[in-house]
Amino acid sequence: MLVAKLAFRNIFRQRRRSLLTGLSMGGGYILLALTISLVEGSYNNIINIVTTDHTGHVQIHKENYLERPGIFKTLSRGSGIETLLANEPSVRSWAPRIYGVGLGYGDEKSAPLSIVGIDPVMERNTTSIFGKVREGNYFSDPVNSDGYYSVMIGYGVADMLKLSIGDEIVLISSGADGSIANDIYRVGALVGSRDSYEKMTVYLPLEAAQDFFSMKGKVHEYAVMTSHPSEAWKLTAVLSAIIDDPLVTVSPWQVVEATFYKSMEADKQGNKVTMGIVVFLICIGVLNTVLMSVLERTKEFGVMLAVGTNRLMVMAMIILEIVTLGLLSCAIGFLLSLPLLYWFTHVGITMPQPIDMGGVIYDTMVGEMGAAIFIIPVVIIVGSAAAVSFIPAIRAALITPLDALSDR
Amino acid sequence: MSKVIETSHLCRYFGEGELLVKALDDVSIDVEEGEFSAIIGPSGSGKSTLLHLIGGLDKPTHGEVILAGTNIESMTRSALSNFRRDHIGFVFQAYNLIPVLSTIENIEYVMLMQGVPSSERRKRVFEMLDILGLDGLGGRRPAQLSGGQQQRVAVARAMVSRPNIILADEPTANLDSKTGISLLDMMKDLNVRHGMTFIFSTHDQKIMDRARRLIHLRDGLIELDEQRKEFAA
Repeated sequence: MLVAKLAFRNIFRQRRRSLLTGLSMGGGYILLALTISLVEGSYNNIINIVTTDHTGHVQIHKENYLERPGIFKTLSRGSGIETLLANEPSVRSWAPRIYGVGLGYGDEKSAPLSIVGIDPVMERNTTSIFGKVREGNYFSDPVNSDGYYSVMIGYGVADMLKLSIGDEIVLISSGADGSIANDIYRVGALVGSRDSYEKMTVYLPLEAAQDFFSMKGKVHEYAVMTSHPSEAWKLTAVLSAIIDDPLVTVSPWQVVEATFYKSMEADKQGNKVTMGIVVFLICIGVLNTVLMSVLERTKEFGVMLAVGTNRLMVMAMIILEIVTLGLLSCAIGFLLSLPLLYWFTHVGITMPQPIDMGGVIYDTMVGEMGAAIFIIPVVIIVGSAAAVSFIPAIRAALITPLDALSDR
Repeated sequence: MSKVIETSHLCRYFGEGELLVKALDDVSIDVEEGEFSAIIGPSGSGKSTLLHLIGGLDKPTHGEVILAGTNIESMTRSALSNFRRDHIGFVFQAYNLIPVLSTIENIEYVMLMQGVPSSERRKRVFEMLDILGLDGLGGRRPAQLSGGQQQRVAVARAMVSRPNIILADEPTANLDSKTGISLLDMMKDLNVRHGMTFIFSTHDQKIMDRARRLIHLRDGLIELDEQRKEFAA
């Protein structure tokens, strides 16, 4: 109690110096909170775009499919996986898919393209593909009056084969049974953009793709969504346990999109360097304040020690002074950062050059608000300040009373 | 009367070789309980050095200091700190109060270190405020007190924990004559009423006039150890 009283009162002893130190810590708090908010907000936004655009939070494949995809590496729809997914409470939605490659023909030209079979209803419930339709309609009429399946194509396919809505496209590939796969489809919609990853993709209804590739009742992939991307590892563990089949692999988005995830983590490390510089500058200010304070009060510490004050108490008092000042500064920083972070979270910064991420336009950098955003800077600032004040505190505690009293 | 201070062949040297300074050289004194004594002598005679050694604030080059039957030379730093807290009260020339604490808080500081219960602390503090004429000043910080008032608070702080010995280093040096006399009379009164042992280091004639024993130092040696006859029982 006495230590706390002394520490608190000492803060207000050199008001101007405490104010300056407090300003550097409070300003540091705001900078750190803002940096963390923007980094987390931006990455969560991008992760959300990536996972809802196509990847999903978790994917299920035949063993080694991700490393070496192949038409024969299939999962049977009747294997029970779909029942397990339907009964798992943490699964929000899921979508089966088929992947293949082939040649597409328009009236005059042909082009290699990727063929993806999707369940129109389940895919719409799982990813953002419905929102990426730019022209035409999303599988509104899967089979037209001529018996042709309606397909969606990327803009690259449309440009190369000079196709537009209502035109016919012929696809040729090889089926899983070794047969020649070929069929005529009608373009029902154009998806994405000329820069998006699916620009050379043709989306077929799952049933049509299964017919085309002679894969009745088979799929290559299940994309699964849960409540939040951060839950992916947990869901992966749950699904791996309940599927319990060594020939089936369950992978979180961090594994499926490993390159993206690793580059994101590397970038986050870079941001830590920026935060480290902010903390370093704060530490310099704090160290200067504490050293000055200890130097000025040398005689006082000498008296305290002479009359029998415990050395640990002297140390605790100095550290507590800076911790209290740090907490007060962070409290003020918190109040000032609230409206700022609210604005960044709900309005954000409009980017001068929007980024097309798989047909989804990322044009605003937004922040994020949450307990961690506000607590982490407190821990960093107060912890660093306490650590920095440790050396002057030890110095004060080890003062020889007589030397201090006689200004030796 | 029992001895509260015994110093035996106490030496304190500074520097070495040609620069060696013998601040104290072979000083042996005994002080009995309830004494009101002054160590006097010109500047550089070793008065403060002797007081610091008796108070455990400095270590002798040779010799030993026994306080209340305990040899303080063999104590660890922590044990010595506790010993000072429990057995010695200090009054410094520059008052040396803690600026952020009020008069009451400064007086009760040492008792807080000792773990004296709150009610007992308050009782003793108000008793001291009354004895030293500090009534009504309990809530003031040192900066709001005059020099004389601050020195009285320092005396109160030194005495309130009921130590065996009070060591006062030039306590009146920064006070005007009238305030100095008033403070000394109070200390003398406390010595008579409570039987506390006071040792002063001083040049001040007012203190010398009131001391029952004068230890004259010169060049680190005891020149004269004088028992004042006018104070003899």
